[in-house]
This record gives sequence, structure tokens and C-alpha cells, in this order.
Amino acid sequence: MNAVDATEHYETSARDPAPALLTVILDTNPHAWALLEDSLPLSKAIANILVFLNAHLACNYANEVAVVASHSQKAAWLYPRENPATTTTTSRDADGDISMNGSSTNNNNNNTATTDGPGQVNKYRPFRIVEEQVTHNLRELMASTTGADVKAANSTMMAGALTLALSHINRRSIAWAEAHGGETAAETSGGGPSSGGRSSGTDTAERLQSRILIISVSGASDSAHQYIPIMNGIFACQRLHIPIDVCKLSGDAVFLQQASDATKGVYMSLTEPRGLLQYLMMAFLPDQRSRRHLVLPTRVDVDFRAACFCHRRVVDVGFVCSICLSIFCEPPENGTCLTCGTNLEMGDYGAKPAVVARKRKKKKRVNGPSGTATPTPTPTPGP
Amino acid sequence: MADTDEEYIGEVSEDEADNTILRGSRGEGSASRVKRRKQRGGAEWEVSRTWETLVEGADGTISSTVEGLLEAGKRKRLLKDTTPLQRGIIRHLILIIDLSQSMAEKDLRPTRYLLTLRYAQELVREFFEQNPISQLGVLGLRDGLTVRISDMSGNPTEHISAIQTLRDQDPKGLPSLQNGLEMARGALFHTPSHGTREIFIIFGSLLSSDPGDIHQTIATLVNDKVRVGIVGLAAQVAICRELCAKTNGGDDTRYGVALNEHHFRELLMDVTTPPATYSQKHSASSLLMMGFPSRTVEASPSLCACHSKPSCGGYLCSRCSSKVCGLPAECPSCGLTLILSTHLARSYHHLFPLINWVEVPWQRASRSSVCFACGIAFPPVPPKDQWQMAEPQAKGMSISSRYECTVCKNHFCIDCDLFAHEVVHNCPGCQSKITFPKKADRGLEIMDTSA
Repeated sequence: MNAVDATEHYETSARDPAPALLTVILDTNPHAWALLEDSLPLSKAIANILVFLNAHLACNYANEVAVVASHSQKAAWLYPRENPATTTTTSRDADGDISMNGSSTNNNNNNTATTDGPGQVNKYRPFRIVEEQVTHNLRELMASTTGADVKAANSTMMAGALTLALSHINRRSIAWAEAHGGETAAETSGGGPSSGGRSSGTDTAERLQSRILIISVSGASDSAHQYIPIMNGIFACQRLHIPIDVCKLSGDAVFLQQASDATKGVYMSLTEPRGLLQYLMMAFLPDQRSRRHLVLPTRVDVDFRAACFCHRRVVDVGFVCSICLSIFCEPPENGTCLTCGTNLEMGDYGAKPAVVARKRKKKKRVNGPSGTATPTPTPTPGP
Repeated sequence: MADTDEEYIGEVSEDEADNTILRGSRGEGSASRVKRRKQRGGAEWEVSRTWETLVEGADGTISSTVEGLLEAGKRKRLLKDTTPLQRGIIRHLILIIDLSQSMAEKDLRPTRYLLTLRYAQELVREFFEQNPISQLGVLGLRDGLTVRISDMSGNPTEHISAIQTLRDQDPKGLPSLQNGLEMARGALFHTPSHGTREIFIIFGSLLSSDPGDIHQTIATLVNDKVRVGIVGLAAQVAICRELCAKTNGGDDTRYGVALNEHHFRELLMDVTTPPATYSQKHSASSLLMMGFPSRTVEASPSLCACHSKPSCGGYLCSRCSSKVCGLPAECPSCGLTLILSTHLARSYHHLFPLINWVEVPWQRASRSSVCFACGIAFPPVPPKDQWQMAEPQAKGMSISSRYECTVCKNHFCIDCDLFAHEVVHNCPGCQSKITFPKKADRGLEIMDTSA
């Protein structure tokens, strides 16, 4: 029966392994990249990442990539991105117009490591579009960064980039489920606050396989002020079963360790940043399905420290308000919680040891009449 | 609702069948029977009229209306109160499940009993998802007695497996509300004062056969600052309403009667949101010192301080470096409370809720052509004279399909609106620009050009 009305055709296509969406969050913090200049300049890293993206695209014809830049003062899309000049066409089905523009800019200032002029024409089209858009948008982003910006901020907008990436993943999942008649669209978009977490029940094989790769260079203390938004993003990933892979080039990221631990992603801190491409290809290329059969390089000791709400310090012992669970690095003044304003009982934490004043008085009286000639030994207290 | 009474006389026969079982119970049974009929009548009245809201569009189809209704439905769920209320996040909840014969009824599919057990398991899972450092215990009402199903603990799997074993048993006898409340009060008696004390009852019966005066029990519950919430499966029962009102400071909104399976689930899931704290409880709060230990892995196994069992991995106390094997725990040697910071962070979105986004009229819609977060294209702005043509179909729905964050002024689509408020709890726009106030307007400028 199915063969008659051609539903069989759809069924076989549905049984194909679902495509994977790889979202790369690239930390483009200029301060941190400047430190890496000797071993791995940004241009070289971009070239490596582009090769990695192409490898992912080559795994399955329906695979998708997205690239978000987490810059020092904003988070921005590198790919896919709406071109401000041509707002009518979406970049996903980017046709001749955009590509031509992109390639012309590429040819004009042909200084990135990846663009090798004559090869452009024969390049596989999806590769070319990704490459052109990423390099073009990244160049635009760098051009828009002024010296004042660099001076003002030395952190990275990781929370924003994570949120953008998640929004995009959500959009693509809905679109994919609609196109393939899955119930997951209702699951992700139609679930209430309670059933949002219920998506764990759905079969993962039927959904668009999404994962996030964070290429991080900034240190932990920079992102302490984004603690809550980052944690919110991590929990969202956990609910949606999106692993966060972290490729750490420099610095030490406390919250990213927790991110990959909570979402069962891969965390790798590269000792030799020059080998970025090799690490990417070996550790981060397999998708969720292949990972079940692999022994993953994952970090077993995880830094679970939190950021305090008062000074944005990263602490391992903190004071927690019993009402709102805000973390403070020291008891707040007057025992008033800075978040909820509750008057908190301090317990014994702030108390100083009781000073026995009587003894000192006694001592003075002894010292007084005898003068300063010979210091009398401390009188032993009588029984 | 009262005017529908006469039209549903036909239902009485079915109700009488139910009540033959319950006859001989206390006087409140007859009063609630009337109420029950009303309740049912009201439910069917609402259900039967849904097609009237459908209006054919200009092209003779209803697709536009259906789409509008879908979007309005999504939006309605979203528009919740975002006032940052003080909430009790360290909760102590006793879940009481009615296991009496009235649960065998089949008005909720497959039976009240089985559906309740299934939803109770979901409730436990969701409760710990939302309230990771809270404690839960489960009791059952059967044969006029209270049975202990699982003790107070913070381990969801323990409760779920305990509820699972109830599936093999049948509901039996009459429930006793008073016995259940007394036992729950005993279980909550030792809980620290900085947490909440709550009882939540799933009550399918219309009666309660109590050994003593339930009003006395209610008074002691009020004294002990225990709050009670009830979901009724049959009809409103006066004593339940009184119980909820008295223990919640006169507010009886925590008593709900399920209209259907979906509504039942909604009522249950409302429990997972931490309750707002009342001002008189301020004195009970205190500052807790906690450690956030990091996980370590050792090459050779060593004994953990908590169970004296050899293990390779564990968490080192941040103050005294003793090894404990699981969290949350109290350090056995120095007494510091050790907790995973992720447990705390999970509830922060209750503290800092994302404010609702506002609808964008056509006048301001031209600022954006695509959703800031996901890049989907918005419908183009029509010419000015058509702005007034299509009036919004439902409250809260944006005419231009754009929703604006009032802080960062970016426009988003309905799906991103939903996703941001229900899953991520972050605004993609606000998080994507620099947070220093002096740079704020410049950052905004960049956003506008790129969006």
C-alpha cells in the first residue's frame, strides 16, 4: 500500500541518519589572540577552522554549519548571516549575488591564509560560501573594532554567543522537524515551561543532531560577570541534549569546564596550539552517533567553582543566601542580601573571638605601681 | 456556570452511580455532588464551543485564523508575571497521593489511579529539575490510614521507583485527609526554618473519613507554617478549599480541580515553581556557608571520608580537603556544606526572570527585517493605509510578528521569544552587546546596523 501512494519513498528518506548541525563559537577576543601570536595567529586558526568546517560539511550532504564570533564587546554571526546590503535574500540559499560580492572582496584583499586565487572557481560550492562569508564577516567585525573598544573590554561575550547559537539551533530544529514531519517541532516549541524539559523523552535519532563547539582563548575571570547567563545557556543545552565541546587554546575557563561536563561534551585544553587542526579533526569531528562508539578525550577533574554576585570573584567557599541562593564571597554588609534584600542571620561567621577584658585590667594594675623597672611575669591566676 | 445547570440533568444518573459508593459518608458529600455536576457541566460547555472562534479568512480558508490561534496560544503561555518575587528555593515538600477506591474511576484515562501515578513520577522528576537542593517525600492515603511511600530525600530515582511499585496495587478504602496531614506535619517538623514546608495533595475523593477534628489539624499546620496545595480530581470540596486558604494566608489559588488530563498535568506542574515567600517569614532566613568543591581523579583508590569506601574519584572539601564521594553532602570532618554550584545556578532564572517582550506595531516594525536571534525573515511592512486593516486576533499577539525586548530594543520572532523565555532564560540581544553602561548606546548602534 505504501508503495502505491509513494509514502515508502518518504519513509526511507526518514530512516537516513539525521543531518548534524555544528555551531562553532569562536572567541575572537583580541587581547587573548595577541598573546597567542607566536604559536597560532588568528589567521592561521581561521584557516584551520575552515578546513574543519569543510570536513564536517563533507560528512553528510545535509550537514549544516554555523559560526558565531564572541568578540570583546559584542557577539556576532559570521555564518550564516543576513547581509545588510541585500536584506531580501536569506544567506542560507545564498545565490550568485552574495557570493560574487564575497569573492570580489576576497580577491581584492587576498591576505588570508585560505584564499588561493585560482582555486576559488573549482571549489565545492558549500565550502566556498562558508569560507567567503566567514572571512568576509570576520574582516568586517575586525574593521569595526576600534582601539578604544579594545582598551575598554578585555573579556568576551560568551553568554551572548551561546544564546545566539542556541536560538539558531532552535530555529533549524523546528525547520527540520517541520520539513520531515517530526513531532519534535511541537516538542521544542509547543512545550510549556514544564514540558520544555520533557524533550528528553523524544527519540534523539529523529531530531536534527546539533552540537556546539567553543574555541576559547579567554580566561575565566573575564567571564565571571556573565556567570548567570552562561549557566542558563548550559542548562538549556542540557535540556535539549546539545553537547558543548570546548577546545581551549589558552587561559583557563572554569565555566566552560562545567559546560562540557554538564552536557557530556568534549573538553580539551591544547598544550600545543599549533596542532589545532589535528585536534579538531581527531577529537571534535565525530557527531553524537559516532561518539557512542569512541573513547572520548574528556576531562575527568572538573572545576566546579562559582562566581560570587558581589565582586564577581571566582570562589570555592562562599556564603549563600538561604532565600535566593545568591553566592557571596564574604558576608554582605549589615547582613542584607544584595540580591533579594533579605535581612540574613549571620550565624557565627562574622563573629570575632571574645576578648577576656578582665585579665588585661588586672595586668595594668599590676604594672602601674611597680613602674617599668622590672617587668613582672604574668601573674598566674589563682585558684 | 450556574445557568448551565438545568441543561445537564442527564449527567446526574452517572453521578449517582458514583455516589452510591460514597453514600453514608459525611454531610459534605451531598453539597459537593451538586458542585461536581456544575464543574463537569462547565467543562463540557467550554469544550463544545471551540469552533465558534474560527473565522473564515478572505480566501475562504481558516488557515490564517488557525495560525493566529497557535501563535496566540504560545504567547498566552508566555505572558507570565515576571515580578522578581522572593521565592523559597530550598523547599521541603510532602506529596500525598490519594489511593482510595474513588481513584479507580475512569473519567481520566486510563484510570485516575494510573494517570496520577504517571504524572506523579513526572512531577518528581520536574520538581528536582527545578528545585535541585530541595527535599521531597511521598505519602499515600488508603483504607483510612496513611501509608509511607518514600521518605524525605533529595534523590528523585528513589521516589520514582517507590511510586512505580504502587502500580501493582489497587486503590482501596476511604481516604483520611487528617491522618495524611498529621503524618506530613510530622515529617516536616524537623526541617530547618530557612526552607519552605509544603504539602501537596492529589485528592480524588469527595470525602474524608477522619478520626478527629480536622480543623484542629489545620490550625496546627498554620502554626507550623506549613503550606498546603491540593489538586482535586472530581469536584470542589469545601474542606480542601478551606485548608488551602487557611494555610496560604487566605489565598486559595493553590486549590485546583482538574477539568481534563491536560489541565491536571498543568496543575501538577505548577507545583514545581518555587512559591513566593511571605514577608512574615523574613526572620527565618540565614546566611549559609557553603563550599563548591572541584572533582578530582586519583591514580590509586583512597578511602572517602563519608563512607570509608575506596574510590578513585571524588570531591575534595574546599576547606579541609577531605574526600567525599558524592554531592550534595556535609563534610564529615569540618562540617562545611558541600554543594555543586550548578545545583544553585539552576534556580537562578527564578531570581532574575527575563522580562516579557512587547508587541511591535507596524509603525516601529520597519526597523528590522529579520529576527535578531535566528535570522528568519519577518513579513514585510505593508503600506501605511493597511496598518489598521488587520486588527490583532488575540491579546498579546503582535500584529507585525515581531516582539521587542524593552532593554536592548531588538526584534525577535515568536519562536525565539518562546525559546528565550522558557528554555534559555537569556535575551540574545542583551547578552550580545557590551554590558558597560558607558558603551551601551554605541553598542546598540552596531546592533542596529547588523540586525
